[in-house]
Amino acid sequence: MAPLSWHSVDLTLDECIKCNICTSHCPVSAVTDLFPGPKYVGPQAQRFRENGQPRTPDHSVDYCSGCRVCNEVCPTGVKIAELNARARAQIVAEKGLPLRNRLLGRNELLGKLGSFAPALANFGLHNPLSRLLAEKVMGIARHAPLPTWSTSGTFRDWLRRTRDQRLKSSKKVVYFHGCATMYYEPFIGKAAVVVLEHNGYEVIVPEQNCCGLPLLSNGEFNVARSYHRSNVGRLAGYARAGLPIVGTSTSCTLTLKEEAPELLDYHDEPATTLKLGTYDIFEWLRERYEAGELRTDFQPLPLKLPYHAPCQQRAHRIGKPALELMELIPELELAESHARCCGIAGTYGYKIEKYQIAMDVGAELFEFVKAQGRDVRYTACDSETCRWQLEHGTALPSRHPIEILAAAYGLYDLERRDVIAGKRDRSEKR
Amino acid sequence: MKRYSTDVLVIGGGSTGTGVAWDAALRGLRVILIEKRDLTHGTTGRYHGLLHSGGRYAVKDPQSAIECIEENRILRRTHTHCIEDTGGFFVVTPEDEGDYPDRFKAACARVGIPCEEIPLKEAFRREPLLNPRISRVFEVPDASADSFLATHATAQAARQAGAQILVYHEVVDLLTEGGDGDRRVVGARVRDVVRGEEVCIDAAITVNAGGAWAGKIAAMAGIPVNVIPGKGVMVAVNHRLVNTVINRCKMPSDGDILVPVHTVAIIGTTDERVADPEMLTIEPWEVELMLQEGDKLVPGLSRSRILRAWAGVRPLYQEGYTGESRNATRALALLDHRQRDGVFGFLTITGGKWTTFRLMAEKTVDKVCEQLGTNRPCLTATTPVPGAEQGYYWLGHRLHEVEEARLQGDLICECELVTRTMIEQAAANNPTVTLDDLRRDVRLGMGPCQGGFCTFRAVGVLHELRLRTQEEAQTTGDANGEPPWNVAYMQSPRQAFQAKPAALGLNHSPLDNPNLLLRDFLQERWRGLRPVLWGRQLKQERLDELIYLTIMNVDHLPNDGAASPLTAFWQFDTAPNAKEADQ
Amino acid sequence: MMLDLLVIGAGLAGLTAALRAAEAGLRVKVISKGMGALYWTPGTIDVLGYIGAEERAVQRPWERLDELPARHPYRIVGAGRAQAALEWFRACAAELGLEYNGREDGSNVFTPSPVGAWRPSYLLPAGQRAGDAEDDRPMIIVGFQGMRDFYPHLIASNLKAQGQAVRFAMLPWSVLSERRDRNTVQLAEALEDPKTQQRLIDALRLVVKPGERIGLPAILGREAHSQVLTALAQELNTAVFEIATLPPGVPGIRLATALRRGLEQCGVRVEIGMEAIDFHAEDGTIEFVETATSARPLKHRAKWFLLATGGVLGGGFDSNHEGRFWETVFDLPLTTPPDRQQWFRPLFLDPQGHPALRGGVAVNEAFQPIDAAGNVVFNNLWAAGGLLAHADPIAERSLEGVAIASAVAAVEAIKAQAFARVDHRAFPSETP
Repeated sequence: MAPLSWHSVDLTLDECIKCNICTSHCPVSAVTDLFPGPKYVGPQAQRFRENGQPRTPDHSVDYCSGCRVCNEVCPTGVKIAELNARARAQIVAEKGLPLRNRLLGRNELLGKLGSFAPALANFGLHNPLSRLLAEKVMGIARHAPLPTWSTSGTFRDWLRRTRDQRLKSSKKVVYFHGCATMYYEPFIGKAAVVVLEHNGYEVIVPEQNCCGLPLLSNGEFNVARSYHRSNVGRLAGYARAGLPIVGTSTSCTLTLKEEAPELLDYHDEPATTLKLGTYDIFEWLRERYEAGELRTDFQPLPLKLPYHAPCQQRAHRIGKPALELMELIPELELAESHARCCGIAGTYGYKIEKYQIAMDVGAELFEFVKAQGRDVRYTACDSETCRWQLEHGTALPSRHPIEILAAAYGLYDLERRDVIAGKRDRSEKR
Repeated sequence: MKRYSTDVLVIGGGSTGTGVAWDAALRGLRVILIEKRDLTHGTTGRYHGLLHSGGRYAVKDPQSAIECIEENRILRRTHTHCIEDTGGFFVVTPEDEGDYPDRFKAACARVGIPCEEIPLKEAFRREPLLNPRISRVFEVPDASADSFLATHATAQAARQAGAQILVYHEVVDLLTEGGDGDRRVVGARVRDVVRGEEVCIDAAITVNAGGAWAGKIAAMAGIPVNVIPGKGVMVAVNHRLVNTVINRCKMPSDGDILVPVHTVAIIGTTDERVADPEMLTIEPWEVELMLQEGDKLVPGLSRSRILRAWAGVRPLYQEGYTGESRNATRALALLDHRQRDGVFGFLTITGGKWTTFRLMAEKTVDKVCEQLGTNRPCLTATTPVPGAEQGYYWLGHRLHEVEEARLQGDLICECELVTRTMIEQAAANNPTVTLDDLRRDVRLGMGPCQGGFCTFRAVGVLHELRLRTQEEAQTTGDANGEPPWNVAYMQSPRQAFQAKPAALGLNHSPLDNPNLLLRDFLQERWRGLRPVLWGRQLKQERLDELIYLTIMNVDHLPNDGAASPLTAFWQFDTAPNAKEADQ
Repeated sequence: MMLDLLVIGAGLAGLTAALRAAEAGLRVKVISKGMGALYWTPGTIDVLGYIGAEERAVQRPWERLDELPARHPYRIVGAGRAQAALEWFRACAAELGLEYNGREDGSNVFTPSPVGAWRPSYLLPAGQRAGDAEDDRPMIIVGFQGMRDFYPHLIASNLKAQGQAVRFAMLPWSVLSERRDRNTVQLAEALEDPKTQQRLIDALRLVVKPGERIGLPAILGREAHSQVLTALAQELNTAVFEIATLPPGVPGIRLATALRRGLEQCGVRVEIGMEAIDFHAEDGTIEFVETATSARPLKHRAKWFLLATGGVLGGGFDSNHEGRFWETVFDLPLTTPPDRQQWFRPLFLDPQGHPALRGGVAVNEAFQPIDAAGNVVFNNLWAAGGLLAHADPIAERSLEGVAIASAVAAVEAIKAQAFARVDHRAFPSETP
């Protein structure tokens, strides 16, 4: 159990005035009795928890999805989601972790293993028999939207292959790709790189590892700490040198900024330097825009595009910069989802006992998309797991806003999800 | 008028009085206990929550220290479920250098208190919020205790052994016979507060266990007993900043103990001589002092969320003493009025501390037996009270039960995890005249919202219980063989849920004025909030005001003129000579 | 593209101000730490319920404003303008799909509270109108077994003691839900399901007598509230009214949701989860406000700023044991007594309320915060709502009235500044 200190999130329980605003917004307690609500499992139960108890008194906190809507709406600043995460970690510390949760926590490892023979891995995983087995033996819901490994190589493979085409510049930015981009969706990274280069930035992709969020969500704090330590060691130097670290996976950047430091009580100088130098990519692009530095040579994109800001993105508390920037694209008809959560909540919706809850939670979002009409071709969302859930729940392809931006710059094919060959504009901005 | 006859009449329903009743009943004596309000209404219900190891007294008062450690061991066996085995630290802060720590260690060894100096690293690992400048830490077997549950369990044990416990029965007068040289107390005239009737109780021996009121009671027989009321103020913080009892390692003084009790931590206490044991005010300097001293143990405590402040009165007794209450002895005093004042059939037991209540009772009943001319051994040290088989209390106990039995939908006081059935059972089985009585039984309103949500709910639940019982008055008999509720489990959500449903007996005290219940309890909570109201707790109170004023309009309900035993408290608050907020 | 107005606080005052400003063509954004007090209130619009220590409720609020403290927000706004502001609010709410009505003559309407006291209100939402004390139909108050936030027998008992013809009934919980642990918001959503509605109708038919109006807890639908109300009223051929519950309060939530929807339609962003922690000002003019994020603070620039952070309840004020009482964003001077011993009276339900809670931000005629000497603290800052000095909206039962009247007045003052400069936008003419 992480040591208690006056900085500890556990102490924010004192802010709670029992007003029930969190419970009235919680998308999970709205659909199941198994979860009594954030107020109950967070600040209320926290008064009954203590290091060194004969046994943990908790059960229902396991059903918290970690979506953080409660934090968002709380009028007094209780860090409910973090309280819950800590309580879950305590359960893990006492009762151990099922193999399934161990596996789901090791996104990077799974990604890497599959990347050696992606076509085989895809076939092996994505057939009905394997999925059935995985559900019966491991508890991974057979219908939950697991990703496919990239069969055109990893993101690093692409970087290596196109090394000579990459822009060199005195303006540099560090890109944090995250496991999903690396092994499953390298095209997200490609879109990010071309957008950044279009604006005159050289993109540096240093050695980095999984941010550790799936481990934190599943309560494996010790391992998560070592992951974070490793990233801090590899990246803090860039931040110290004034290079921004931008990421397209909004959950990864949130983890580097806040989740890891808060949950692990990890506040030393290098970790804090990294925190202060990390940006969600649209957060950083918006800053450039406000400084008059962002290229706005967008081609019209005549699309009807429902956009869902994932809960992890809202947890950054930076507003919705992806929406604000996409609004600059001519003819793009954006519809903002106010749905609370798509349901997948990281690894939550993959667990058999939570799969249906996740689908019920996401129903609000799926219905919103449906209500936008039949002429919608894509949905947009900053988080990879949310996109997979959206595709699962709406049968519509989903795109990261960076892909939309890249397409608007004329550099990216939204349908094929690839950069358009030979289309890198080296001219100076404006 | 009703008349009872008994061997022993015990006046006072605190820890000592119920202890005497228990002890006497176990020895086969007929006992009746009367208490003017609810059990633990006096000092027992207002104390710090500490089961002393005796370390605090080892240097200054070794006799008390020995009594403490012996009783500590005994109570852990007899009242196990009322005790949380927190352990205790004696810590040396920068202000406490000098030779006291070594004297302390030696004194503990001398009187037989297990005391081990532990490495600082270990101490801070267990209690990370402790003052980092602490230089030495000694571990002793302090523990925290729930005096409400303990007193009720003791009373239950007494009942099971044949005693009669009558609460809301106030002594009007002691009955005496004979003249000079031959006076004898033969019982008491008592008023049933709830029904307004008088009752006469004839007793061979009357034991005055009236605590801070003992002097008033003795005076009814013309006997001067000068109890020194030593007021102590305590301040609770919203959640447990520590899980071990933390004592300052120095000569005992104000604000030097921080005790984790249930879901809060309590910093205390002061010691001021006061005139009236009932009408107590909390002075700003007392609160300031507690916070200041608390900061020395856990830096930043004064900036954390302060939940509540209250005062209790120690019944100190020292024959012929006129000085400061801080320096009066804490030793128990058993006054044999036959020897002291020439009055037969009357004993006063006073002084002492909660930790030694059983010993006080033992000595008292030994004396009772002596005066009755019978030789019966004390059995309390080896007789666990009902509920002790549950083992030590642990902090997560209620949450664990609510989680296992999926009782979330039944929660009425969510802060302290009090369910509807717990409230119904306690109200039906323990005479409940005010919500404060209920609070003591099940911890209603003792959490962060201080009754904001649960006062209304509890009133509604009790109102419904009354209606339901009036309807079901004709249908009796067990429903499904469910076990009857037992007060030993009054803090258990699961037991309350599984027990036979509650029913208000026809002889029960009337609960038909919900508006009064509501108003009284809101005011009672306010009394303890007002001295410490700022920051987060003030925000909470403002929400509570929104609930009771904006939403409920409770200040404009009918029957304003009604009063209850609790009403006396807030009438005191608003009396002309009470401190006004403005002029 | 610079913001014209940044509103800090998304309670009733903040949302109302944003709506008024957007209507006038200003570019507005609202930021808030969390949701506001509308999530707790009963959803009525209360102008003035009680004055000072007077036992009896106020009957005609507009006629008694002069009895309030001289610098009470109502006295600064004036009865005429305040009344117009409430009328404008009513029209906005109607456009957003929420009907609010009061009495023609502007006198207070009395409806039952959750303990059966009569609550004075100025405007009632459609769902509460039929609870009017002056309606001479008998009532039946219907609750649900095990619903911990509503006790119909208690309400009936107290109403009866005050002369109302009233009965009560308890329906089984299973009428509403097969799930055990649900709060009022979840129950309201459940009642939007036609099957649940039908169960309720069928159960009510068995207990309701002809001629009785039916009082139910405030769970009659969320967005589909009017549909639920209509269905019940038609099927049961009688009037149905809601009675408020403990928080979360669904009627207030309906209003908050409707206001935010209205703002979205006007292109106003309402950002929740943004706590204002710092600001920067030059020469008495605020340049930006900073909010806390997961890493670096975020700057919000605007020409003008409106503070509507709600006082103690909204987190706009904080205090400590040393007796410091402060405003949490701009550290504006407050009128709260400096001595902590002066803050609270001994009686919780003291009819005069508590001095600490009547203290707040003092403002001038234009609702700009001023210091003790009467000087404007910041050139481009206005204030509205529960944080204003000389009012205690909870003790007075004037929460919504103060919020709306002060918000509208503050925005009118901002508009006066805005359109005094060269600006070519068209705007509807306003007579204060």
